[in-house]
Formats: sequence, structure tokens, C-alpha cells
Amino acid sequence: MGDSYSEFLKQLEDRSRVKQERFMNHIATRLKRPRVLEKPEHPFRGAPDFWHAFTWSEEERIEHFTANFQNAGGHVIRAADMQEASILIAEQAHELEAKHIIRQDESALAELGLEKALPDASIYAWNSNAQEQWKARAAEADMGVVMADYAAAYTGSVTVLSAPNKGRSVSLLPTMLVVLIPLYRLKTRLGEILGQFDQTQTPREQLPSGIHFISGPSRSADIENDLTIGVHGPGQVLAILVG
Amino acid sequence: MSAAQSKPRDTVKERAELALNNAFLRKAVKYTTEKLRGGKQQAAEEHGNWEAWRERGRQIRLHTIAHLDYYLQEFAENARANGVHVHVADTGAEAVEIALAIAEQKRARSAVKSKSMVTEELHLNQALEGIGVEAIETDLGEYIIQLAGEAPSHIIIPAIHKNRQQIAELLSKDAGETLPPDTTVLAGFVRKKLREKFLEADLGITGCNFAIAESGSMVLFENEGNARMVTTVPETQITFMGMERIIPSWSDLEVMATLLPRSATGQKLTVYMSGITGPKRQEDGDGPEEMHIIIIDNGRSLQLGDPEFQELLNCIRCGACLNACPVYRHIGGHAYGGTYSGPIGAVLTPALQGNVAEWDDIANASSLCGACYEACPVKIPLHDMLVYLRRRKVEQGYSPTLERWAMKGYAAVMSSSVKLQRTLKLGKLGQKLVVRDGVIKARIGPLEGWNRYRHTPGLPEQSFRERWETLEPDIRGSLQEMDAGMKERMQQLVRSRSEGNENQGKRDSSEGESIRSDAPTAYSGKRNSDRVDREESGVNKGKGGGNHG
Repeated sequence: MGDSYSEFLKQLEDRSRVKQERFMNHIATRLKRPRVLEKPEHPFRGAPDFWHAFTWSEEERIEHFTANFQNAGGHVIRAADMQEASILIAEQAHELEAKHIIRQDESALAELGLEKALPDASIYAWNSNAQEQWKARAAEADMGVVMADYAAAYTGSVTVLSAPNKGRSVSLLPTMLVVLIPLYRLKTRLGEILGQFDQTQTPREQLPSGIHFISGPSRSADIENDLTIGVHGPGQVLAILVG
Repeated sequence: MSAAQSKPRDTVKERAELALNNAFLRKAVKYTTEKLRGGKQQAAEEHGNWEAWRERGRQIRLHTIAHLDYYLQEFAENARANGVHVHVADTGAEAVEIALAIAEQKRARSAVKSKSMVTEELHLNQALEGIGVEAIETDLGEYIIQLAGEAPSHIIIPAIHKNRQQIAELLSKDAGETLPPDTTVLAGFVRKKLREKFLEADLGITGCNFAIAESGSMVLFENEGNARMVTTVPETQITFMGMERIIPSWSDLEVMATLLPRSATGQKLTVYMSGITGPKRQEDGDGPEEMHIIIIDNGRSLQLGDPEFQELLNCIRCGACLNACPVYRHIGGHAYGGTYSGPIGAVLTPALQGNVAEWDDIANASSLCGACYEACPVKIPLHDMLVYLRRRKVEQGYSPTLERWAMKGYAAVMSSSVKLQRTLKLGKLGQKLVVRDGVIKARIGPLEGWNRYRHTPGLPEQSFRERWETLEPDIRGSLQEMDAGMKERMQQLVRSRSEGNENQGKRDSSEGESIRSDAPTAYSGKRNSDRVDREESGVNKGKGGGNHG
């Protein structure tokens, strides 16, 4: 591709810019007013006011997260600390006879010491060298291990953000997904997490490319309404609440 | 069937007949829609304050559409800054042209697609096949109907009309071996097969549930994980986005994320909700290297500035109106003959195409019961819009000649009591030929359709008007004189009501302002007062029966 392709993209870009101006003017004309160029006052931004006051205690958050996540077909267990979490993960891996495991390249996950606990399994840390075919490593993995960046109790969801050391594939391609949730990252409402990505909190250029909310195992009801688990994403999801 | 064509070849009646003769389809659609509808009602109730959330959702959508040029421009600029190639297209054909040019330049051989209604509008798959690019639908239901060569019949459950045996046969042909009609086996086969397709695909094609103006991000809701695959594995991502899919901020996404999954399937949140902000960062290990977003008008701007139809652009494509609709439940999605089915399809299809004339028949296949409005998470008055459609059809002279004459005749007869009396007398004479045991059973003339399922009562020996002369004194005689105090109070009430409707008027204008400040096209006061009444009745119902759906 090379030069001719970038030339092609540039042509598209030039055309698009001219066109875009006409497109927006057309919208304004249809709305029977001049173009709006100043940011309009948005009096209805976000959830209704009463919702912002809604908050659960830590015990309630744990209880609701667990109930919601399990209702969606996921599993939830608690661990006092990362050490106990490490033992629980190793147990799961034994039970599943997991031969290939992939984890995000985070220090908290390195400290789990899975390599030592599971000497027979091949364990990879995402994107830890430039030669590996990382998507293929994730696709063949029996188990993917990630840290949750946030979690919301009200909907039973975990949030994972992409980064060079945190692949989107690790929470998507393996057969089973293990998510570690430090309790202090477990919020009540979805809005407490979404609000963090607003421009006042995180400027656009600092947003990760992928922000993924995961609320249980991959599912489909497309064949006669019969629930199937693990159609494309992980069919088994284990959330470990740590703390 | 080749649904989704600009001109339906046959009438809704003929298409519905096909559905009505298919017992499985009717049963399946009924079962699924009832399940989804029940799930939605339960989810809404459990969440609580549903009316307040609906109202908030509506306000956000109204505000965004009223300032669409600003937010769309903001989105496009931010997406560009994130490294996305942004394109705009007035028509579906233009959008397809852009996508094909990219595919050709890339020498792409295959594309994996996640569910997208807008690409159904554009017939993208056929176009891609035309230049030798294999286009694979990866949503389980979409994959099944693609194998069958059909169009989706439900916005959330596209293969609602296929049974397990039919699906097993389709997938067996695909596998080259016989697969048992077992859901786990069938889904397992699709997982394995599509894994290979994901990994070898050159292009990932998606729709867009919401686009966030402030950060230039796009958001996808799904349960299977195929949309995540499409936006993670292939090197190039192309996203098709209807130009109205925009919301201002991530905070606003909380409202949409509260309304959409609950209304669609009764879930608190879909299994996956993904916000994609630009292609992969340079050091990232996965995600698309190159990302395109094509913003599409394709008839949407026709609704802008149209006071009767602008609110159509508020739609968040949840399918709740389909599940609530008694007509949809009987005839299924294909009978609507367009990309979008159900009440929303009945209005959206002619609105997008701007041709009221050819699509009017589906507007008549509605009971106008308003269940769609009650179900809608952003309160689009679909049943009113169906009436507007019918009116426009009449105004533009597209009503059948017979109907026009019948209406003229009706007007002439009803405008004079003498004429009405004469006509009734004539009718009583004439009906002697057809009335048996007080009813007309013959399927003749205008009664043909009606009498197929029921009988028409004949005119009675003595009409109400004829009985009135003796009836009135009877009634008067039996009435007791009203208590003087009560009479005074009632008269007072009537007087205050006729004094210019003051309270009512006030309510109208405040509601009117809030709409007007958002939508520059002023709605008439009449409409607003309708709206207020409806809202109140909706709330009351909610209190009484706990049923908002």
C-alpha cells in the first residue's frame, strides 16, 4: 500500500471536509435557523438529579454486585488479599486443566505468582515483547486474567480499559475470564464510572482506545430463545472481589 | 425474501397473509415478544422512577437533535483528533461507495460484520459481494438468516422466525456434516467457524449505538461479544453511523445505558458495552490500526424541522415498540416489508424514503392503541405519527377513489338530519335482502373483509332518533330535581371552565416552551395539551398497576 494509499486517504479526507460543511449547513437549514457554533447550554445532562444522591455501603455493593453478576451467569468469590486470590485462580486452573493462560502485564498480576503456582501451564504476560503474535496467544488461551479498573454494583458490571500492557483480547478471546476487583474500585452506580470519562475528568487525548464494560459471560438467545453461553466471548467468567 | 426494498412488490396484507399462515412463526413471535415485553416491564419496575428516566431520555434526545449540527460537528472534529477517518454521506449509495473504495484500495477479501440496522438500510453486503469481498454477519441470529438468504425480522432477535430444526439444517449445510438440533452444539459450531473468520478478516464493519460528541467516541451494546471481536481483531474498522446516533457526553450515556438494555431485553446492562475512542494507540497490542466512521443521512434530515416527525430521530432502536405491538405479534417483521419493522418501522420507513404514497398501507395496519408510545423509552408518539401519515396520504390525494367518494357521501348525509333520516329509511328497506336473524352475513361489497371474521348487525326496526320522542319524556319523568346547592356548584364549574381555560392554558405554554427551546419548530398548543394529558395518565397508570409498558 504505502504512498498511494496515504494519497487515497488524503483525497478522501479533503472530500470529506468540504462535504461536511455542506452537510452541517443542510442540517441547520432544515432546522430553520443559522448554524449553532457555540456550545449550547445542556440543561438535561446525565442522570436525573435524584439519582446522583443514590449510594450503597460497601456491604450492599458487594451483595448487589454478587447477585447481579451471578444472575447474568457469572461467578463471584471473595478473597481477603491478592495471595488468597492467587490460590483461588490456581485452583480454577487446575480444575479446568488450563494449559495456556494469558494475563495483563500489570505488576499486581505479576505478584500473583501464577508461574510458580502452575508450573505445567504456559503463562504469558500481554504485549511483554514485540515478537509474539499476541492476538493468537490470547485466542488459544484457556484462561485470561485481568484487573478491573472499575466495577458497578447496580448493574453487576466490571470495566476494563485498554493500554499497551492491557490488551482488549485478554478479556475477550480466552475460554474463561478471571477478573480481579479490588473492593475500593467497586462503585454503586454506572454513572460514577462513566462520569470519569467526561471532559472535565479525563481530557479526550488521555482516554484509552477501548473502554469495555463486561457484565457476565457472552450469551445469545438467538436459537429459539434458548440461552447459549459463550457464543463469541468467554463462556465462563469469574469475578474475585479482593479485600 | 428480499425485504428492505424501496418499493414493496406486494401489499402488507399479502405479506401478512404469509405470516398468518405460518403457525410456528406466529407462535414464536408471540412467545418472544411477550417474554421480552415482560422482561422490560419487570426491569423498569425494579429500577423504579421509570417515568422520570424516560422523560430524561427524551429531553437528552430532543436537546441533541435540536442542536444536531453543533454536536455532529463536535463529534467529527474530536474523532478526527483521535485519529479516525471521518466521512459524511447524504445517501446510502454514497456511504456504500466510500466503504467500497476503502475495501478496494486495501485489496480486502473478507469483512466481518456485527449487527447494524443502518447497513441493512444500505444493502452493504450485496455491494461488498459485488466487488468480491465476502461479508460475514457474526451475530448468531444474523449469521443464521444470512445463510438462509433472508432479512432480519426483529430488531433485537433477527432470526425470531426460524425454529431449531430449520437452523440445524442451515448450519449442517454450512458445516458439511449433519449437526443435531441442539442449541449448544449449533452455537459451538458457529463459535468455531466464526473464530476463523474473525482472525482472517481484513475489515471489521460495525454500526453505532451512540456517538459521544465531547470525546469523539463510539459506543456499542451487545451480548455475544462479536462486536468486540469486530472492533478488536481486524486491522481496519469501518463504522456506519446514522447521523442522529449522537449524544453530548459520557454522563448522558448513563441515561441511555439505563433505558436501552432494559427496554430491549430487560437486562440491567448488555453483557458488553464498549466505548471505542479512535484506533489503537501506537504501543497497544491490539485494536484496529485504521478506523473509519461514515456518518449517514439517507433520509434522516427529511424529519428535521418537521414538527410531526422530528421526534422519530430520538429513537434509540431498542425494539420495545415491536414487543408491545399487537399487530407485530400477529404478522411478524417481514410483513412490514422494510428494514425496520413494527410501529417504528411503519413510520420510519416512509419517513426515511419521503414517499408517503407507496408505503401507506402499513400505516393502516395498526390499531392506534398507543402501546408503542407507552413502551417507548424516549416517549416517541408513534401512534400519533401513524395518524399523521394517514392524513398526509389523504391530503396528497393518494386515498382510493372509492374511499374518497364514501367520505364525501358520509359528509353529505351526516350534515342534515333530514338526509340522515331518509338514508336510514332507505337502508332499512334495502337491507331486507341481506339481513337474516338481525345480522348481515353476506361477504359483499365493502363488508367483504369485515364479514369474513364477524357479522354486521342490521339496522334496528326503530332507530334511536325515532325512539327519542317517547324516550325523552320518560327519562325526564324519572329524574329527580337536583339539589340546589349541587346545581350551583356544577354551574360554577362549567362557568370557570368556559372562562378561557386558564389553568390548562398555562400548562400548555410551559410545556410548549420546553419543547420549543429544544425543537425550533413550534408544536401547536393542541398537541401539547394532548401530551400533558397523556403523560399524566401514564403516571397514574404507573401508580395504580405498576405497569408502564
